[in-house]
Amino acid sequence: MSSEYIISLLKPMLEGAQTTILLFIIAIVLSIPLGFLLTLAVNSKVKVLSYLSHGYIYVMRGTPLLLQLLFICFGLPMIPGVGEYLVLDRFVAATLGFVLNYAAYFAEIFRGGLLSIDKGQYEASKVLGMTKWQSLTRIIIPQMIRIALPAVANESITLVKDTALLYAVAVPELLHFAQTAVNRDFTIMPFFIAAIIYLVMTLVLSLFFKYLERKFKFE
Amino acid sequence: MPIISVSNLKKSYGELDVLKGISLDINKNDVVAIIGPSGSGKSTLLRSLIHLEEIDGGSIQINDEYLVEQGSYAKPQEIRQITSKMGMVFQHFDLFPHLTVSGNLEIAPKLAKKEPMDKIKARSEELLEKVGLTNWKNAYPANLSGGQKQRVAIARALMMEPEILLFDEPTSALDPELTGEVLEVMKNLAKEKMTMVVVTHEMGFALEVATKAIFMDNGEVVESGNAKALFEYPQFDRTKAFLKRSLK
Repeated sequence: MSSEYIISLLKPMLEGAQTTILLFIIAIVLSIPLGFLLTLAVNSKVKVLSYLSHGYIYVMRGTPLLLQLLFICFGLPMIPGVGEYLVLDRFVAATLGFVLNYAAYFAEIFRGGLLSIDKGQYEASKVLGMTKWQSLTRIIIPQMIRIALPAVANESITLVKDTALLYAVAVPELLHFAQTAVNRDFTIMPFFIAAIIYLVMTLVLSLFFKYLERKFKFE
Repeated sequence: MPIISVSNLKKSYGELDVLKGISLDINKNDVVAIIGPSGSGKSTLLRSLIHLEEIDGGSIQINDEYLVEQGSYAKPQEIRQITSKMGMVFQHFDLFPHLTVSGNLEIAPKLAKKEPMDKIKARSEELLEKVGLTNWKNAYPANLSGGQKQRVAIARALMMEPEILLFDEPTSALDPELTGEVLEVMKNLAKEKMTMVVVTHEMGFALEVATKAIFMDNGEVVESGNAKALFEYPQFDRTKAFLKRSLK
């Protein structure tokens, strides 16, 4: 197997990896804040808001991500009446699916983080004269992030690998190019190359989160 | 003119009456020890004064202003203003673990009082020196001993320049050999005429430092008055029995 062949494979696969990385970044950047808002909604005193967000999380976690992606890409346009306005670009539709799904998981991670914060932290900020908003943003959230960090890292690594689901809605990404080459050239080499590219991406991510954990050790 | 005046304070959790009509006055510069068996309502009373508990009836006046008048609370803005005259030190310190020692001291004046940073820095240096922790200002709470944490907590409360300091069993979570350093800081505050209300099991401290003692049992004030007199000549059997158990 020549190195020229491997290089010729790498070009489209790295282009595919760009789609993977782009999806990953958009999904992370949008789903983490959305997840946090969901956590606040779940904990809200407004009962309707709390029930709705509970229901949302239940549906998003209780059905396969693949089903959700297929629904957004192919299901929405079939809704009578409004369907024709819901034909989205495949990549946009898939990204939307990832953001909505991952927000539910992040919401649960953050909820766990909030639960583990001692009520003394709220009381101490209150008797020191801080407002609820100040205590949330300056005392509670920084501690919650620290507690949630390992679980967020785990979920992010899962997200890198879940981007391969784009394959199912025919958005060309890393795995798509690997599969094409395997079929065309009748060799398993592209699969190994794809695996290595995924490993490099998850390694970078793991190292980044290890760095964050050290930075937020508070010792 | 009492700085804290409580009358007929009532508080219950469901069927359980925790405070059954408490009345008491605390004067400026008093050091008041609230003593009594576990479950007598001491901590609940203390926490009510600074609005960590909502009471069901009665009145609380701080510095002549009503926090609660006949069971109805002041407006949120007034509550904030009234309780800002008080600082509180908790049994479990409740330092902010993600902030350094100086960070713990400086955050509240910065956020709640919006004071200029140089003024805050100067005061935090001064207070850290006072509690003997100047060398620890950049440490995180996780690296401090219990006694050091509680001294930071006292300094943090003092940063807001309260007129009254409330202590909720400040030494109960400490190893016995660490209580001394915390009590020392409290004694110095007493010497500086800080008004203090201390829920405590430290009878030695109560006897030595307190000007006034309040003995509570079963949600009531059984007796109160001059600390020495109460310890040496308790009037009621319940007080006598408690002191006998606690002082031996």
